[in-house]
Amino acid sequence: MVKFLKLYEKIGIFILIVAASIFLTIVSPNFRNMDTILGIIMQGSYGAIIAVGMTLALTSGGFDLSVEAVMGLTSVILAMLIPQMGFTLSIIIAILASCFVGMINGVLITKVGISPLIMTLAMQVILRGTSLLITGGRQVVIAQKSFMTIGASKVFNIIPTPIIYMVVIFIVFYLLLNQTTFGRHIAAVGSNEQAARMSGLNVTIIKTLVYVLVAFTASIVGVIRTSQTLIGIPTMAPGFTLNVLTIAILGGTSLAGGKGNLIGTFFAGIFISMIYYGLNLLNVQIFYQFLSVGLVLLFALFVNGLRIRYLESAKVKGIRI
Amino acid sequence: MMDESKVGLTSKQKAGNFIGSFGLIIILLVIFGLFSFLIPGVYFTWVNLRDMIRFSSFVGIGAIGMTFCIMTGNFDISVGSMLALAGVLGASLAPRISGVGGVIVTIIVALFLGFINGVFVTKLKIPAFITTLGMLFVFRAIAYIYTNNTPQYIQDRFWISIGNKTFLGLPIPIYIMAVCYGIAYLLLKKSPVGRYIIAVGTNSRAATLSGINVDNIKILVFTLIGLFVGIAAVINASMLGAANPGMMGDGWEFQVITAVVLGGTALSGGSGSLGGSLLAALIIIFLKTGMSNAQVNSYWQQVATGLVLIFAVSLNKLKFWLIGQTQ
Repeated sequence: MVKFLKLYEKIGIFILIVAASIFLTIVSPNFRNMDTILGIIMQGSYGAIIAVGMTLALTSGGFDLSVEAVMGLTSVILAMLIPQMGFTLSIIIAILASCFVGMINGVLITKVGISPLIMTLAMQVILRGTSLLITGGRQVVIAQKSFMTIGASKVFNIIPTPIIYMVVIFIVFYLLLNQTTFGRHIAAVGSNEQAARMSGLNVTIIKTLVYVLVAFTASIVGVIRTSQTLIGIPTMAPGFTLNVLTIAILGGTSLAGGKGNLIGTFFAGIFISMIYYGLNLLNVQIFYQFLSVGLVLLFALFVNGLRIRYLESAKVKGIRI
Repeated sequence: MMDESKVGLTSKQKAGNFIGSFGLIIILLVIFGLFSFLIPGVYFTWVNLRDMIRFSSFVGIGAIGMTFCIMTGNFDISVGSMLALAGVLGASLAPRISGVGGVIVTIIVALFLGFINGVFVTKLKIPAFITTLGMLFVFRAIAYIYTNNTPQYIQDRFWISIGNKTFLGLPIPIYIMAVCYGIAYLLLKKSPVGRYIIAVGTNSRAATLSGINVDNIKILVFTLIGLFVGIAAVINASMLGAANPGMMGDGWEFQVITAVVLGGTALSGGSGSLGGSLLAALIIIFLKTGMSNAQVNSYWQQVATGLVLIFAVSLNKLKFWLIGQTQ
């Protein structure tokens, strides 16, 4: 039992995915189609990419509510700059600007000591205002159709590009968190900041870098989404931040910090997308999507709570864990 | 040399204490003075002042329950959805069971939703942030499904008058807010419950060991949030004349939490200030109204609100830094 529970911690979300796949295969003939499956993964990739960044933030003991506004800012910068500067330079500037925003978040959180919640919330409001100011409140159409290749084309005519970005970002962040000193430092800061400081880690730089990385992932998704719609939208993705947090938490990353599960995050993003797909099949209204996401979140965390309590009582009884 | 530095430190400490006691009042007065000066004849009038306080009751009342909750070291981000669900249920039933009945239903539903949150947090041991994040989706979805996404209009005279009529020259929401704060103050300062809340927030384990039933206190706190959210829902629906499942309370949770944190309640729990939450709610509304009256571009308003928020919270940190120097 203990062994199973240890395993469940690692692959719990994977069990949910298998269950959902079996269910969808039975109810929907379309699901056996490769295009459908890739479509579902692509829809999940947007949330998953940012959730990967959010997982780092949660691991460091903070979190970031400004990601949806960073997406909007990226979108607006792209729309304004592309006519003058071309794609590459515009994308670089948009991503750098987002990273700069992340840096401000990080510096104010670490140096002034503002709680991440309030700081990133204020940043969200400021960025939304700034994005709206830049475009004068309008949505800006991007005339260059070829910009679409970035987010709306398929590699080898099969795999949509967002999936490629998701996989690359996941691998890079996975290596970063699990194989580098920097990754271990993030976890150290998250589990006990005071101790990390005492043992000579530069907490300020570590945390600031984490917020830069979160903004970076949000900016990437901003680029992808803008490329797909060819419109610069200052109010892009309202409420998306909560989806991202849901994915990260569902993936098994603890809010208390110190423990990040990137594999879980990756699959949780896909799982949420499967729920949406399944509900679309049933032809129910969008409200039921909210309901199911909320219920799945509560259920998963309830099961997780049971698991932790079982392991604790096992420890008391002297069973080796 | 020694004396000089000693004097310097004392004045630092004094400055810190000064900011702690009067910082929010000064910010409020500066905002009020600034806009009174910028737009004479519009902002600095009795009617405007009255209206601003009336509007602030919506966030102000919600902030009471949240102050208690954050003082115990917990957190509730489902309040916006809770507001909407309670509001649409009450408003939809009002034609059948009268306005009074609708108001009572709204408050009782919110109370019950808060209670459910509390039970989930304590008995199922799901962290408060995640429970209420889940409930944020669930409550909103039920509000949508129940109404089929149609606004529930309020025709009833009694309910409409709650948010819009005046009594002895003052709008009724101001009285309601005053009574709510009065009761909350007594609860926090004069009853054992207040001490238990602070004990739980300071050190939950120590509170358990000293015989406090921590679970019950937490459930009580979440239920209190429900109570005050219910009252705020009644006022909000009354002012707007309708309860809209999608728009009602959308983003309200962040306004409420902002007011509480701006008011000086520490997110880590254990200490908090009801007066601070009230002042912060006033600051938010005074600033917003002032900028609208001065015809500031609404996008600039957003930017300015965010900047003021960061500034005000930094001031609070400055206080700790100044006082901390001497410890």
